[in-house]
Amino acid sequence: MNPETTVQPERTMSPALSKSPASMEWVRRLGGPLLTSIVLFAALVLGGLLYASGGGGARDSLVTQMLINAIIVVGMQIYIGNTGVLSFGHVGFGAIAGYTFAIFAISVERKSVTVSDAPFGLSEIQWSPLAAIVAAVVVTLAIGLVVGLGLSRTAAQSGAIAATVITLAVLFMAREVAVNWDELTGGDRAGLSFGIGDTLESRWPIYVALFASLLLARLYGTSRSGRLAAATREDNLAARAVGHNPATHQTLALVLSIVVVAVGASLRVYELGSITPKFFFFEFTLLTLTMLIVGGRNSLTGAVLGVVVITVGNEVTRYLAGPSVDSFEFVFRPGLSKLFLGLSMLLFMIVRPGGLLPDWELDSWLFSRWRRRHETKPVEAATDEDTSLGSEVLKAESITVRFGGFQALDDATLDPQPDEVTGIIGPNGAGKTTLLNVLTGVVPSTSGRFSLGSNDLSSKQTHAIAREGVVRTFQNLRLFGSLTVRENVAVAALHRSDSGDSGSQPSVEELLVAAGIWDDRDRRASELDYGTARRLELARAAATRPAFLLLDEPTSGMNEAESLAMTAQVRDLARLVGAGVVVIDHDLGFITGVCDRIYCLAQGTVVAVGTADEIQADPIVREVYLGSVADDGPGEPRDS
Amino acid sequence: MSELIQQLFDGLGRGSEYALIALGIAVIFGVMHLVNFAHGELITVSAYVTYFMFNNDLNWWLIIPAVVLTASATSVAIEFVAFRWVRGATDFTQMLTSFGVHFAVQAIFIMYVSASFKSYDRPGWIANTVTVGGIRLEVIDLVTIGVTVAALLGTAALLRRTMFGISLRAAAADFDAARLMGVRSDRVIRGAFLLAGVLAGIAAVFVLMRTGRASPTAGLTPLLKGVLAALIGGLGSLSGAVIGGLALGIVEVLLIARLPAAWVGLTNGFVFMLIALLFVFRPGGLITVGKAERV
Repeated sequence: MNPETTVQPERTMSPALSKSPASMEWVRRLGGPLLTSIVLFAALVLGGLLYASGGGGARDSLVTQMLINAIIVVGMQIYIGNTGVLSFGHVGFGAIAGYTFAIFAISVERKSVTVSDAPFGLSEIQWSPLAAIVAAVVVTLAIGLVVGLGLSRTAAQSGAIAATVITLAVLFMAREVAVNWDELTGGDRAGLSFGIGDTLESRWPIYVALFASLLLARLYGTSRSGRLAAATREDNLAARAVGHNPATHQTLALVLSIVVVAVGASLRVYELGSITPKFFFFEFTLLTLTMLIVGGRNSLTGAVLGVVVITVGNEVTRYLAGPSVDSFEFVFRPGLSKLFLGLSMLLFMIVRPGGLLPDWELDSWLFSRWRRRHETKPVEAATDEDTSLGSEVLKAESITVRFGGFQALDDATLDPQPDEVTGIIGPNGAGKTTLLNVLTGVVPSTSGRFSLGSNDLSSKQTHAIAREGVVRTFQNLRLFGSLTVRENVAVAALHRSDSGDSGSQPSVEELLVAAGIWDDRDRRASELDYGTARRLELARAAATRPAFLLLDEPTSGMNEAESLAMTAQVRDLARLVGAGVVVIDHDLGFITGVCDRIYCLAQGTVVAVGTADEIQADPIVREVYLGSVADDGPGEPRDS
Repeated sequence: MSELIQQLFDGLGRGSEYALIALGIAVIFGVMHLVNFAHGELITVSAYVTYFMFNNDLNWWLIIPAVVLTASATSVAIEFVAFRWVRGATDFTQMLTSFGVHFAVQAIFIMYVSASFKSYDRPGWIANTVTVGGIRLEVIDLVTIGVTVAALLGTAALLRRTMFGISLRAAAADFDAARLMGVRSDRVIRGAFLLAGVLAGIAAVFVLMRTGRASPTAGLTPLLKGVLAALIGGLGSLSGAVIGGLALGIVEVLLIARLPAAWVGLTNGFVFMLIALLFVFRPGGLITVGKAERV
């Protein structure tokens, strides 16, 4: 975990709402999740009871199983849904919890028959079911934290695939230990079992656990950490570039999800009356994962819907497969459920990978409807020409970068001033983007240092540099696709840098207006047209309240009119948040139109520096641009 | 000393199977960024073909080509039915697609053949050993290593000398750039699945000769070993996958020989733990290779 996160001052959940009545804020923070959990809980339980009232012990136990599965799937949603990391390991955590629960809760007489030699004197003790569940949570959490440290490290750094493999390792490790540690687990075939009449009789513990899980999941989903995890899920690098440390939030999500899964797994074992290594393994993984993704893993409502749809689907398949609805039918068609689940998963991945409800939650839906009705457009903040941009100098000294034998940057030195717009030009391959990558910690420099004011940033990570106040945009747009425009900006504002003067900060809404994307505020970022998306990226970077904004080809792909509008917006936004600006482009005409001072980069070296006029007259720059300078009017469409 | 050499040899024999499977997984990852959990199904399907041919009194000389053919055809068929529809989707979607295929194929065999395993006779020479300089070597290991070397040389020649091989390597290095340069993505992806299928088919022959049984989960263990080997080699690196496979085989054999008897059952667990640790400390895999083959 990163210590820097803990010292971050608490901020309001959404600066967007700082102006709404305090009561409304309270309703939103607690009431929304509460409402959603109540509705989901009621739907599950009432639907289940209605079905069970049709009669028959088989129906009764089906409903019980569905409710417990719902707890486990909700637990998985907290991690998989919010972080976007596919985990096979949660069922492995379930196995650990299930065995721990069983070994503590099973009666001493029973244990003296099956696992009389259990280590640590475990065969001599018997705890109440509640205490055994607590033990299960504690043990699973202890193991989960060790795994989680590795998991968040890899998930944050090398992407989801390596993390997924670690979770797979958890699943297999849990099984191997369960199969081989006979003295504790009863081995491969016998397993552990409760005495007759010792199993779960009442549904009340399930109801309590289910409701608590739903509420916890939704509270986390709407929390600051949950929103940051979701931003990371949408685009890892972009999230780091606005100051988020992915590892912190992924670890928190993992901890919460393990707690819920451990409770669910314990209840499952309690209800079933036994546990063997086979139970919490591949087939249960298939069942729970299918439930999660068919419903829509990104939302809690989706996860719950998936539990219902798959449970019903499984029953219907079973019914259609034979003349008898008798539960014995299943014995004769053992592969049927697997086929249904496998095909459902396959089909959904191909046709609707986001699931039935990719992003819908009752409380956010109600709230955004309410807000749309009550919200007024803020007045555009006036920034006059005299307002200075930033206040601290960004200094880069002798930056050198080598990729293998290729020298991308060679001893480049710059000191962009805070009260200016600094341009960096150069032909393709001159090292412009590499320089920007170095200054934001995306690419390590081979040698050289850079600092903001007196603050040395050379060895810091991307998210730390962003929090110090150096924030960038990307040449190829990187937005948080499934978040709305407003959420994109709000999530960036969560880590506002504390440096700079103490002037009032523009709200998320004011930034939306200043960037000219107010009318698009409730649309998803993935639906935006190119120009709007570019402006959103600019607004998002500005929302971090940077000391320096680094813009990588902010007008690439735009026509002349759009470029001019963008140019004005860059200055306005920079003034609004009080930031110095560095713009990178290969179009000399555009750069000379916007910038106060310009560096010309060629083959990794600064070959010229000066004002627009000086640069245009510079013979070296002319040579770099093959004499095309004179014809290159500002804002002409560029070949990027 | 001779014991160690014997174990290393045994490890190479095992590792060769893993290497062939891992290479296929790496080839597919290279062109699609897909970790193919359905790769083991090529072995499952081959296992049932072996079983049925055996029941019809056909011998191993006919079964061997049939197995290679089955695995290749299945590989291409799975691409056609499932993976072509999720090209370019997120890692999450692609991985779960392969997971879905894995279970669907398993389920079909459970439903229409049997959930329990079906045995067939292993070839007679499988248990034979030869003694070279005081070291006892199993014939099956010798044959596996020999055939694997030949298959790898063949694959290397294919990748370096043919137009298809060059397209495939280009696509693995940078898929979009390769497309812009005129590499036909359809053909390269299909070719990659065919190549992976042939390699898995060769591996399947040895896996099936050793186990002597067909079951719906016959492909699971080889798949896991293949995925792990490919990961050790840094996913997408072709030479890394081969080295990863051999290393995995050797580590396994050494662990089995060295661990106390009560712990031998945990061999796979230890291997998993070692690999998980490897990823914590070297997220890119054990072998860092040149960019030419990396994705």
